[in-house]
Amino acid sequence: MLAAAAISASLAAAPAIAQSITVVREVDSDRYDPHRSTARAASEVLFMLGDTLVSLDYDMKTIKPSLADSWTVSPDGLTYTFNLRKDVKFCDGKPMKAEDVAFSLKRWINPETKSPVRWRAGKVEDVIAKDDYTVEYKLTAPYSELLYQLTQSFAVVIDKDTLAKLGADFGVKGFNGTGPFCWVEWTPRNEMKIKRHDAYTWGPPIYENRGPAQVQEIVWKIVPEENTRLAALMTGQSQVTQYIPYSGFRTIRSNPNTKLIESKEAFWTYFMGFKIDKSEVNDETLRRAMVMAVDQGAIAKNLYFGEVQPAYSYISQQALDWNPKVEADLIKTNLAEANKLLDEAGFKKGPDGFRQRNGKKIEPTFYGFTGSTWQKLAEAVQGDLRKVGIDLKLQLFDATVVWGKLATQEFDMFGMSYPYISAGDALNLYFRSANVPTPNRMNWKDAKTDQLLDRGMAATTDDVRAAAYGEVLEQVHKAAVWIPLYHEPMKIGYSAKLAPIKAHNIYGCGLYKGLDIKFASK
Amino acid sequence: MGQQIAYRLLLSVPVLLGVLVFGFLLLKLAPGDPAMVVAGPSATPDVVEQIRKEMGLDQPTLVQFWRYISRVAQGDLGRSMINNTSVAEELALAMVATAELMIACLAWAVPAGIAMGTIAAVFQRGLIDRVVMAFSVAGVSMPVFFIGLLLMQYLGYKWQLLPFLGRGGPLWTLEGLRHITLPAMTLGFIFVGPVARMTRASVLDVLKADFIRTARAKGLREKTVIIRHALRNALIPVVTLVGLQAGYLLGGAVVTESIYSWPGVGRLAVGAILASDMPLAQGAILSLAIAFLVINLIVDLLYGLLDPRVQHR
Repeated sequence: MLAAAAISASLAAAPAIAQSITVVREVDSDRYDPHRSTARAASEVLFMLGDTLVSLDYDMKTIKPSLADSWTVSPDGLTYTFNLRKDVKFCDGKPMKAEDVAFSLKRWINPETKSPVRWRAGKVEDVIAKDDYTVEYKLTAPYSELLYQLTQSFAVVIDKDTLAKLGADFGVKGFNGTGPFCWVEWTPRNEMKIKRHDAYTWGPPIYENRGPAQVQEIVWKIVPEENTRLAALMTGQSQVTQYIPYSGFRTIRSNPNTKLIESKEAFWTYFMGFKIDKSEVNDETLRRAMVMAVDQGAIAKNLYFGEVQPAYSYISQQALDWNPKVEADLIKTNLAEANKLLDEAGFKKGPDGFRQRNGKKIEPTFYGFTGSTWQKLAEAVQGDLRKVGIDLKLQLFDATVVWGKLATQEFDMFGMSYPYISAGDALNLYFRSANVPTPNRMNWKDAKTDQLLDRGMAATTDDVRAAAYGEVLEQVHKAAVWIPLYHEPMKIGYSAKLAPIKAHNIYGCGLYKGLDIKFASK
Repeated sequence: MGQQIAYRLLLSVPVLLGVLVFGFLLLKLAPGDPAMVVAGPSATPDVVEQIRKEMGLDQPTLVQFWRYISRVAQGDLGRSMINNTSVAEELALAMVATAELMIACLAWAVPAGIAMGTIAAVFQRGLIDRVVMAFSVAGVSMPVFFIGLLLMQYLGYKWQLLPFLGRGGPLWTLEGLRHITLPAMTLGFIFVGPVARMTRASVLDVLKADFIRTARAKGLREKTVIIRHALRNALIPVVTLVGLQAGYLLGGAVVTESIYSWPGVGRLAVGAILASDMPLAQGAILSLAIAFLVINLIVDLLYGLLDPRVQHR
């Protein structure tokens, strides 16, 4: 009776409230505080709730205005002066001024904030509001990545009065930003509701629509089951999602009610890293042969239905400051060559078919995440390595445990994936000696790398920066410290009732500011 | 009756204490570091350490346990380690959603189970009996996630008759009713089987009793004999079973809530455990334990009401 009543009510019910869209995604954020939340789930919403001084174009290389109309950089690269727009208002109607920007950026770098991404702001001397609409960002050392970092959600401008009012509940019970959407309500692990900021007229120039958002409300709903997310999109219970199971892309493409948009850039890379000072994998030739044994093409085709790009480089070749010279050194799949390399280096096969070094079987231990993605990936790599006589031992841990495990020195190899904006962004995170044991889990300690990273960071011209980072790319690729697996392109499935959406790639947040989301006119 | 309630409540105290101790110890012994979870993958060790200190995780286990027990004794379940929300507030919202789901489930599953069991008993060994029993066995044997996916596939996805994305509002609203139907049907399927089987067995038993023969001899209509005399007397063991199964429904609710993104206590508990959010996980475990105890208390009291012999013992 209950079912019959509900079904008849369903059939009679009008379609979902027009101008409200539901976006389904896999996980929620711990909170929505731009300076303390590092999860992609937080950035997805924060990009819509707030604005940054500068924005990033779809090509992931060009910096465009946002809250700052224009900016200048001093010749020594130490002072950035931002000229702010004068028409910007917070969601509560209060005008946004330079002191709000200075307050927000200073809170980001304040050690008391305990921001896990404080380092992304560079070595800051001070951030000063010179007048109501001019902000000076002063550094103690040049930082060529600064503008790129300032496009990230960590640099979103917040309202200090709201922060003072909400205290520890900031980003939990409320938020007051200048973005195209305003906070309505958040039920953790369930849904986040945001509504259109009607006064918004300062959208970044990468959008055709720079005025208010074109939908009234966005509901971000947490749906952990991937097939439920797909079914929700197919049945119109959700209008947009980028969290689609690989097996579902074909269904979305072939269904007349749904569409799929894909960005050309794939700035989210999956890789396995070697702890290069562990005895199991400290030999460069061994590592090179192991990289060569892995068939990334087969992984992309068989595990991911050809929906990802096989990776041979540590960052996407479309990324800013990618060094084309490295391309000649990229290690491509070649089983025969891998076996030859190992034979020549004296890694002889034992009676069990596995190779040995000094009478000891080569059996590196791999630490990774549980869940279908890493389980499948790790098993595929394990299978490939067996073909060259290496017995990879897999140990997978759930998300609550894995980060602690990956901070230890217990393993020889690990699995990881990460988003980045540029070569510098990726290299400074993973290859700085100071970042051992985490996030530099390879224990890559190299004075020359640090020097080059410093040079790249302090560069005041694009050429110097690209040259420095390019050299680090050459260095680490030659040393075979990672097995690159695949680059994941941004793909967004959406209802055919919506007008075409363009996929962005910033921090893996495909909808970015959401200014192009609208229902298609009939 | 009052004395009986007081006695039952008193018995619940050590059980709850046990739940508190074991809940705390289990979560404490489970591997995982909430500070690492909060800090994220790119955090440096000093930031993780700072966060650990802020969360009070640098204190000895005994100190942490004492703080927890003292807080709970004062009715304070604490705040979520991850997002600082009040555990009590989160639980209150989640309890409403779970209670709605259970009520909706029981509302169709109990009458359906009783009706099916009675019909099966009346037509014992006939085709209807076999169909009903096959259905019951299927309901008992199929895991709840399978039933959920099956219903979602056909009623939600293929025929697009019902929504399957979370809660649509309070139960008395149209949206609320539409959204709860699939989760309630899913959860109910695991419930119908045992109720139908127990009803069938119990009715068959009662139908052999002398008073049924007397009722028939008096010339009462068969319908009256079955409904007024047989079924009424057959319901006592069924009520016990409903009570016991209602407790186990909480376990089924964890899976159902996850499949349908239903914002109940089960899903909350799973999320909190996966995120190493200890205060929230402990609060969720405690509230599930209390719910179980309350359900059992209600069953005991109902049992007394239905069967006066119980009160006299």
